[in-house]
Amino acid sequence: MSWAGPDNFPATSTSLADNLDKKLLVILRDGRRIIGILRSFDQFANVVLEGAVERSIVEELYCDLPLGLYIIRGENVVLIGELDLEKEELPAFMVAVTHAEIKQAQKVEKDGEEHNKVDHKVQNVTTNK
Amino acid sequence: MLFFSYFKELVGKEVIVELKNDLAIKGILHSVDQYLNIKLENTQVVDDTKYPHMLSVKNCFIRGSVVRYVQLPPDGVDVDILHDATRREARGG
Repeated sequence: MSWAGPDNFPATSTSLADNLDKKLLVILRDGRRIIGILRSFDQFANVVLEGAVERSIVEELYCDLPLGLYIIRGENVVLIGELDLEKEELPAFMVAVTHAEIKQAQKVEKDGEEHNKVDHKVQNVTTNK
Repeated sequence: MLFFSYFKELVGKEVIVELKNDLAIKGILHSVDQYLNIKLENTQVVDDTKYPHMLSVKNCFIRGSVVRYVQLPPDGVDVDILHDATRREARGG
């Protein structure tokens, strides 16, 4: 299989070649957001990110966890977004917190969602009667 | 191949791509490939207060396997041409 350079791609072909060496946001199927510089990719959307950071956000709190050099298997990739360096990545009101604090906030958020799910089940039971 | 050709006709039009993780992104269709991977430009998340991560993302690549729907402009479809193409594809397949 010959390596197809940028010239080989017809105009409508979707290629990540334009995003090489750019800072990208990768959203994964498990909901994680990884930010890093794209160094390599292939036809399966496997990507190599340098200086990768996992960004967790809970309402107005955020936390960046440094990961280093990452290879992400393409089947886990949902979206690859190009970060505009001139724009603010995050709204100004957001507050940076430690990893422990963000995990705590995520737990609270998850418990809140589960509580709401349980309430819905109770409502269904009563209306069926 | 039919939908790949169909999406190629829609390049330059504004679409909303709804993903399987419920994220909906509005943007201009830049390109599509044989896997129906989609590249959008001038992207804007439909409910952006829920997804602050995407604030400064203006162009994105969406893996075809994660797309649930692609919402099209009402005038984006020439139904007759689509019907003919579908019949041809069905006969050939």
